[in-house]
Amino acid sequence: MPEVTIDWYVALSVILFSIGALGVLLRRNAIILFMSIEMMLNAANLAFVAFARHLGDLDGQVLVFFVITVAAAEVAVGLVLIVTIFRTKKSINIDEIHLMKG
Amino acid sequence: MPMNAFGLAPLLLVFPLIGVLFNGLVGRRFIVANRNTGEKWSGWFASVMALSAFMVSVLLFLSLRSHEYHAEVVHLFDWLAIPSAGFRVPWAFQIDTLSVTMMLVVTGVGSLIHIYAIGYMHGDPNFSRFFAYLNLFLFFMLILVSGNNYLMLFVGWEGVGLCSFLLIGFWFDKVNEKGEPMNANAARKAFVANRVGDFAMILAMALTFWSFGSLEFEPVFSHALEMFESGEMVHFGLFSASLGSVLTAVTTLFLIGATGKSAQIPLYVWLPDAMAGPTPVSALIHAATMVTSGIYLIVRSNVLFEIVRASGATIFGIVSSPDLVAYIGAATALLAGLIAFTQFDIKKVLAYSTVSQLGFMIAAAGMGAYVAAMFHLITHAFFKALLFLGSGSVIHGMEHGHHHIHAHNHGKEVHGTPQGDTHHEEDNFDPQDMRTMGGLRYRMKTTFIVYMIGALALAGIVPLAGFWSKDEILAHGSEHNLIVYILLTIAAVCTAFYMGRQLKMVFFGEPRHEAAAHAEESPAVMTVPLMILATLAVLGGGLNLPFLSQGIAETYHEHPGGVFLGLEGWLEHSIAAFELTEEGVVHLPETPKVFSPGVAGISTILAVGALVLAFYVVYANKPKTAEEPDPLQSTPIWWFSVLPLNTLYMNYIVPGFNRLAQWLADKVDWAFWHDFFHDRIIRDTFVGFAHFAANILDLKGVDGMVNGAGSLAKRLANWIRQTQTGYARNYALSIFLGTVVLLAYFIFMAN
Repeated sequence: MPEVTIDWYVALSVILFSIGALGVLLRRNAIILFMSIEMMLNAANLAFVAFARHLGDLDGQVLVFFVITVAAAEVAVGLVLIVTIFRTKKSINIDEIHLMKG
Repeated sequence: MPMNAFGLAPLLLVFPLIGVLFNGLVGRRFIVANRNTGEKWSGWFASVMALSAFMVSVLLFLSLRSHEYHAEVVHLFDWLAIPSAGFRVPWAFQIDTLSVTMMLVVTGVGSLIHIYAIGYMHGDPNFSRFFAYLNLFLFFMLILVSGNNYLMLFVGWEGVGLCSFLLIGFWFDKVNEKGEPMNANAARKAFVANRVGDFAMILAMALTFWSFGSLEFEPVFSHALEMFESGEMVHFGLFSASLGSVLTAVTTLFLIGATGKSAQIPLYVWLPDAMAGPTPVSALIHAATMVTSGIYLIVRSNVLFEIVRASGATIFGIVSSPDLVAYIGAATALLAGLIAFTQFDIKKVLAYSTVSQLGFMIAAAGMGAYVAAMFHLITHAFFKALLFLGSGSVIHGMEHGHHHIHAHNHGKEVHGTPQGDTHHEEDNFDPQDMRTMGGLRYRMKTTFIVYMIGALALAGIVPLAGFWSKDEILAHGSEHNLIVYILLTIAAVCTAFYMGRQLKMVFFGEPRHEAAAHAEESPAVMTVPLMILATLAVLGGGLNLPFLSQGIAETYHEHPGGVFLGLEGWLEHSIAAFELTEEGVVHLPETPKVFSPGVAGISTILAVGALVLAFYVVYANKPKTAEEPDPLQSTPIWWFSVLPLNTLYMNYIVPGFNRLAQWLADKVDWAFWHDFFHDRIIRDTFVGFAHFAANILDLKGVDGMVNGAGSLAKRLANWIRQTQTGYARNYALSIFLGTVVLLAYFIFMAN
C-alpha cells in the first residue's frame, strides 16, 4: 500500500481542473458549463487545502472558505441568470446567446 | 543777451486765426442784430487782428536787430515724422531778415487794406464772411512766409490759393449777359491755373527731399552747398545724377510753381480774370502779397539757383534755369505791359500792370538781383495796393454817382442800401469802365492826388518809390543780361504810357457819363489808408537808396546791428552770395550796389516821354464821349487786345492739362495702379495665396489630418471589434489561453 503524498493531491487537483476547463470550453449546455466552473473552483480548493496541510499553514484553508462563500454567491446569481435566459429564449444553449457580439 | 521776442512768432498765426473764428462763427450775428454797429465790430475786429500780427512782425524785426540779424528758428512742434524713411518735418518758424520783410509787408499793407475794406464793403450782405476770408488769407500767407521748410511753405501756398479762390468768387452768384456765373468761373480759372504750378511744386519738393533728405531750408541749402563744394553726385538708389542737373530740375519746377502763383507766362491768364473779386481783394491778394509768393520762393531758394548758375548746368543745353527765370519774367513784363494798353476796365489795366511788374521781379530774381527783386516787391506792394484801393475808391464814387442819378430820376432815396460792386447790372452801367469816367479830379480830390502819386511811382518817376526799385533792376540788367535789360526797358516805357492813359481817361477831361459827373469822394475810413499808402509810395525808395549802401561793409563791421543799413545790408543775412574757388565755397563780401546814372537817366527820360506822349499827344483831347473809339484802336498795338492768349489757355493748356490728368487717371492710376498693380499683383497674389490656404492647406492638410485620425480610429475599431464575438466560450478560451501564456511566461521566462 503506497503512501499518499502531496503529489497525489496535486495530480487529482490538476485532473479535476482540466476536466472543468475542458467542460467550459467544449460543452454548450449552460448548466454543464456552470458545473464545470464549480469543478475548477473545487480543484483549486483541493490544491489549497492539500498544500495547507502539507506546509502546516492555515492561510490556504482560510482562503478556501472565501472561495466556497464566493462560489455559493456565484451559484445563486448564475442560476438566476440561467433561469431568466431559459424563460426568454426557451433554451440554455450557450451558443445561441451572443447579444454582446461587437 | 539782448531781449528778443522770437517766442512770439506763433502769435503771428494766432491773431488772424482768432479773427477767422470770430467772423466765421459770430460775426454775422452782430450784423444781423444791428447793421451799423455789427459791421463796425466785424470789420474792426478783423483789422485789429491784422494790426496785432503787424505788431508781432515789428517785434520780430526789432528782435532780429538786437540779435545781430542772425536767423532764428522757432520750433513749435514736430509735425510729420516717418523715422524709418528719415522724413521729419517740424512746424517751425524761420525768422530771418527775408521772412520778416515779407511779414512786415503782408501784415502792414494787409492791415491798411482791412481798414479800407470796412468802408468799401459797407452794406454787403456777406460782410463778416468777407472779413473771415481776409483773415484766413493773412493766416495762410503768414504760414507761407514764416515756415522754415518747403512743406509749410506749400501749406501756405495752397491755403492762399484757396482764399484767392474764395475771394475771387466772393460774389459767386453774379452772372454776365449770357447768364454765365462769371465770378465763379474766374475763381475756378484761378484755381485750375494754380494747380498746374502746384503740381510742379509737389514734384520739386519730392525731388528736394529725395536728393537732400530734408525739406527744411537750412539743411537743404547747407547740404547742397557741401555737395557743390565736394563735387559729389546725387544718388537715387541705383541711379545718380550731377548736382547741377538735379538742381536744374528742382529750380525749373520751382519756376513753374512761381509762374502759376505769380502769374507769369504761360500761366498768367488767371490774374486779369481774378479782378472779379472785390477791390480790396485785388489789392491785397492779387497785387501786394499772394502773387509775390513766387518771388519769395525763388529768393528763398537763392542758394539752389546760384549753385545752378555756378555749375553751368543748362536745360537741354539751351538755357540755364536762372536765365530761363529771367527771360520768362522779362517777356511777361513786356507782354502784359502791351496788353494793358488795350484795356478799358480800370482794374484790368492794373491787373495787367501787376503781371508786368511781377515780371520785373521775377526777371530780377532770375538775374541774381535778389535784393532788387525784394525791393521792387515791397515798393510795388505799396503803390499797387494804393492804385487798386484808389481804383476801388473811384468805383465806389462812380456807383455813388450812379445811385444819385438813379435816386434823382425815381425820386426816392437809395443811399441807405448801397450794394458795393453788386449793383452794376442795372441799365448796363459798368462803374469800372474808364470810358464812362473822366473829370473825376474835381469830384474826388483826395483819391485823385493819391492815385496820381501811385501812378507816377509805378511809372518810375523820380523820386518816388518805383523809380528806385525799378532802376535797380534795370541797372542790374544792363550789367548782366542785355536782352533782359532791353525787354524790361521797353516794358517800363509801356508802364508809363498805360498809366498816363489811365490817369487821363479817369481823372482828366470832362465827365463822359452822368455817374462821373455826380461821383462822390469816399469816406475817411477808405481815404486814410490811401493816404498812408501814398506816403509809403513816396518814401518807399528810401528803404534802399543806392547812395545809402555805399560803404555798407565798413559801417556794418564797426556797428553790427547798430544802424539800419537799407534793404541791401538787411537782406544780406538771408541771401547768400558765394562763388566756388579752389578752396571751396567762398562767401563773397557785400558789394556796394552800383548806381548807374546812365540807366536811370535813360529810363527816366523814356518814362516821362511816354507819359507826355499819352497825355498830350495820343489822348490829348480824347476821348470826348463814352462811345468814341480809342485812338490806339487803329494801330497795331491793338492787336494785343485780341492776342489769342486766353484762347491759347482755353484751347491748349486746359485740354493739355485735362489730357495729362486723364492720362494719369486712366493709364497711370487706373490701368497701371489699379488694374495692374492692385488687381494683378496685389489682389491676384493674395487670392492665390488664400486659395492655397483654403483649398490645399486647410481642406487637404488640416482637415485631412483630422479626418484621417477619425477614419483610422474607425478602421482600427472595426478590426478589433471582430474579436468581440459575443460567444461566451470564445471569451473563456481567450482567458484560458491568456492564463496559459502568462503561466508559461512566469514559469519559463521569469527566472
